Amino acid sequence: MGVIGEAIQWLTDPVNWAGDGGIPHRMLEHMEISGLTVLAAALIAIPAGLAIGHSGRGRFLVVSLSNVGRAIPSFAILALALPITIKLGLGLGFWPTFFALFALAVPPILTNTYVGVAEVDRDLVEAARGMGMADGQILRRLELRLAAPVIMVGLRTAAVEVVATATLAALVAWGGLGRFIIDGFAVRDDARILGGAILVAVLAIATELVLGGVERLARPRTVSVRA
Amino acid sequence: MAIRRSKKNLFLSLVMLVVLAACGGGDGGGGGDAGGEAKGELTVGVSGAFAENQIVAEMYAQVLEDAGYTVDRQLDIGSREISQTAFNNGEIDVVPEYLASLLLFLDPDATATGNASENAEKVRTALQGKNAVLLEPSGANDTNAIVVTGETAEERNLEKVSDLAPIAGELRFGGPPECPERPFCIPGLRDTYGITFREFRPLDTGPLTVAALEGGEIDVALLFSTSSVIEDKGWVLLEDDKNLQAAENITPLVRQDVVNDEVTELLNGVSEALTTENITELNARVEIDNEDPADVAQEFLEDEGLL
Repeated sequence: MGVIGEAIQWLTDPVNWAGDGGIPHRMLEHMEISGLTVLAAALIAIPAGLAIGHSGRGRFLVVSLSNVGRAIPSFAILALALPITIKLGLGLGFWPTFFALFALAVPPILTNTYVGVAEVDRDLVEAARGMGMADGQILRRLELRLAAPVIMVGLRTAAVEVVATATLAALVAWGGLGRFIIDGFAVRDDARILGGAILVAVLAIATELVLGGVERLARPRTVSVRA
Repeated sequence: MAIRRSKKNLFLSLVMLVVLAACGGGDGGGGGDAGGEAKGELTVGVSGAFAENQIVAEMYAQVLEDAGYTVDRQLDIGSREISQTAFNNGEIDVVPEYLASLLLFLDPDATATGNASENAEKVRTALQGKNAVLLEPSGANDTNAIVVTGETAEERNLEKVSDLAPIAGELRFGGPPECPERPFCIPGLRDTYGITFREFRPLDTGPLTVAALEGGEIDVALLFSTSSVIEDKGWVLLEDDKNLQAAENITPLVRQDVVNDEVTELLNGVSEALTTENITELNARVEIDNEDPADVAQEFLEDEGLL
């Protein structure tokens, strides 16, 4: 039996679905760290992107930040963050991984938010201003709504990347699906490595589909507002 | 005819003279032990390209050179898979080996124990019929080590691994991810020592575990017994008083076709001088102070009166 058959056997063995080290618990841990990181990144990157897109100031910062953010491997950020989190008393596991994933998640959300807002037709903005809307109103009622689909694409990209990369958490003693890959590698258990990788891929695809659905829901509403 | 024959005889006797002179020279330099063999060229290799193995290989090379051998060094061989292939092909003649690892490499079904001479005997059995001789194991044992910080050792009064048993339930343990599944680690600590830690944190046997122990994220770490960081940070290596860890004593492995009494005596002399403590110090000089393995080896051999 090849390694694929062994991986399928591993995935269907009830033993691997039970307890704290089982697939459901590891899946929840994986979703927890991924979800929290994307949420935190969105809370920072969307307001920042809106401000930059609206004012047109700080464009250089966005471009450089996203390029640098994409160029530095998450593994390097994890390695750099670890001694700092230990020194700060934040420890191993969650926080060093959080920072590595946060750095991965911010650039696509920030760039898409900024681009989404910046590409809103300036005539519409002028019209809104002519109707007596204040800056805050223009941003909330017009620019944010028109940019929403583009922002959603950024969020989706970030989430899928984060889900795939959160496997790194297992290197620094956190759980998640990476545990199967790292532990499987340590004991040369190819079935477990491949099984873990399949689970990560399934979770990433599910994330893509769910957020894709949300994105489609977001689109018609903004379009109807415009129409 | 007669003249020709005498010319031929003259030529032959000249050849004999040269050969005899060469043999005599060889015997004189070899102190008699080398018998009729001329001192030849030897290649010293490593079983892995890391500081400790390179330092010991340098020691082997230098004592051999000092005795008049011409020594070639191959100190960048990355793994045992490669070094053993090179050894079997005669590309290297002498290599510092680790008992239990070598045993499991030669015979994956063998069981290594905590006793160095037992492991050495098993290696010798596994080497039977091969062009290889295992010499005497040194006292330097680079194996898995249970390590705590100096403060923990003092506060909890820890000297031996068995001292951990009554308090392990309060302690966090860090080591490589395979720990829960390997007999030398969690299962062995549980079955041999009755130790069950409060928590296990899967890390590595290197920088992560060191950072975690240093930062107080774990209380007990699994490291290698000769890693220089233990000495450098003032940490305490708990004595494996129930012999759970396989004996990995550094031991010279030599090709049968180059071994002789003199080579045996020289390399066993290095084994006799090495201890876990002194190789750990030498590792620190190379790994932490960035000294050259050759210089460190030479100074050690001079201090021990081996050069």
